[in-house]
Amino acid sequence: MTMMPLLQMTNLSIGYDKTLVSNVNLEVGRGEVIAVLGPSGLGKTTLLRTIAGLVTPLEGEVILNVNRRGGLGYIPQRLGLVRHTSVWTNVGLGAMVSGLNRLQREEIIAESIIKMGLEDKIKEPVRRLSGGQQRRVATARTLAQSPPLILADEFLGELDDDNVELVMASVLELVKKGSTLIMVEHHEERAIEFADRIWRIVDGKLVEE
Amino acid sequence: MKKRVFTISLSLILLAVFILNNFMGQRITIAGSWNNLVIFTFDSLLPPDWSVAQSEECGFFCSDAWLGMWETLKIAFVATVFGFIFAILISVFAASNLSPLWVSLIARAVLAAMRTIPSIIWATIFLVAIGLGPVAGIMAMTFYTIGYLGKLQYEAIEGMETAPLEAAKAMGMRRHEAAIFVAVPEVANNLLSQLIFMFEYNVRHGTVLGLVGAGGIGLTISNSLNSLQYDRVTALLIVIFVVVLIIEGISMVARSFVTEEGDVKRPSWFTIFHSPNQAVRIHHFDDESE
Repeated sequence: MTMMPLLQMTNLSIGYDKTLVSNVNLEVGRGEVIAVLGPSGLGKTTLLRTIAGLVTPLEGEVILNVNRRGGLGYIPQRLGLVRHTSVWTNVGLGAMVSGLNRLQREEIIAESIIKMGLEDKIKEPVRRLSGGQQRRVATARTLAQSPPLILADEFLGELDDDNVELVMASVLELVKKGSTLIMVEHHEERAIEFADRIWRIVDGKLVEE
Repeated sequence: MKKRVFTISLSLILLAVFILNNFMGQRITIAGSWNNLVIFTFDSLLPPDWSVAQSEECGFFCSDAWLGMWETLKIAFVATVFGFIFAILISVFAASNLSPLWVSLIARAVLAAMRTIPSIIWATIFLVAIGLGPVAGIMAMTFYTIGYLGKLQYEAIEGMETAPLEAAKAMGMRRHEAAIFVAVPEVANNLLSQLIFMFEYNVRHGTVLGLVGAGGIGLTISNSLNSLQYDRVTALLIVIFVVVLIIEGISMVARSFVTEEGDVKRPSWFTIFHSPNQAVRIHHFDDESE
């Protein structure tokens, strides 16, 4: 029996008022790391948002073979953290949709926070953290969720090299267990270092390199 | 851009002046003159009759003014708390970023209807249904609070950043989870600020409800007005003014703890008595000693 791909995009065209990227036909399996490259404003974020179900495709379809609840982890460019609540509560949102029981949830929240080196900030409201620390909170939220598909929009942005290593080591651990990461990235070297596949937006087309 | 703002502002001002001018044309003179107002002020309103704020048994705290004020404070407190709870429930449905359009429109219509009926009409309705007294006042004020606060709350929720709700939606959180764990905490500072404002508003507004018999200091004012004791009314209004000033002071301190700029931790009990700057220093000192 052939295994169903995790993500299937068929004749997909994306955009808002006008088409940004058209005729995308790609499949993604489990345990892959994909980097999406290209200059700003060409539709990288729109692609992630369309896969996440936040934007309706202009044409074609996106088929996700994951649970509607907890099957997809999304780290938007602006992180999407609840800034007035604590690190623990924010990471807990990921665990909430993971289908675990309360004890397991608490364990995975603590584990994710420790992995991101934020154990001394557990009770801190997120708004009081630096940009880099907030990125690690968003990553910890996804770790606690452990979804089969992770969509990350420039989530390594404000991190220094050490923290990029720290964050990617934990995310790649999830990938080893079968999760797939699709990340929008500006740094070409980073993309090449971590990704198995590179997608580049060129002239309104998504090209696999 | 500046030119457009200037043109719009000027148009609004001219329109207002035009409407005012029309009203002035309809002015009816009721034998009124400046002299009548001066006589009314100095013969009837002043000096205040402070006997309303004194009693033989235990001074101010057994006086009509204080007992009425205390009842108004209690009515306003209960109505604000219940109003807030119901308002937040409805505002979650009314916010278009949390609910489908049709649900949002129905919830907005409910809130608009509650606001459209003035609190004095609500008070009259509940006076008929329940009878004279503070319970009718509480009910009237609660309904008005729901309509008013609900609108402020759903506007605050709609004004929040989109990213947290988008992340929640993508993750597969249910609508009520996104509302409870994402939207409401994210706008909690606004909600708290509105809650404090509403309490202060309700205290001031309590006087109006009292006029129709819904309890509180308004009832005391109403009795004085009916017996033409305007100097007592002046004294009662001064008492209300002082209480409102005190609440304003308290709400300023409370609100300062929930602003972005203040950026202090949730206030511990003793920092309530410090200025925001002092509170920040205390908390930072705590941080350093940890």
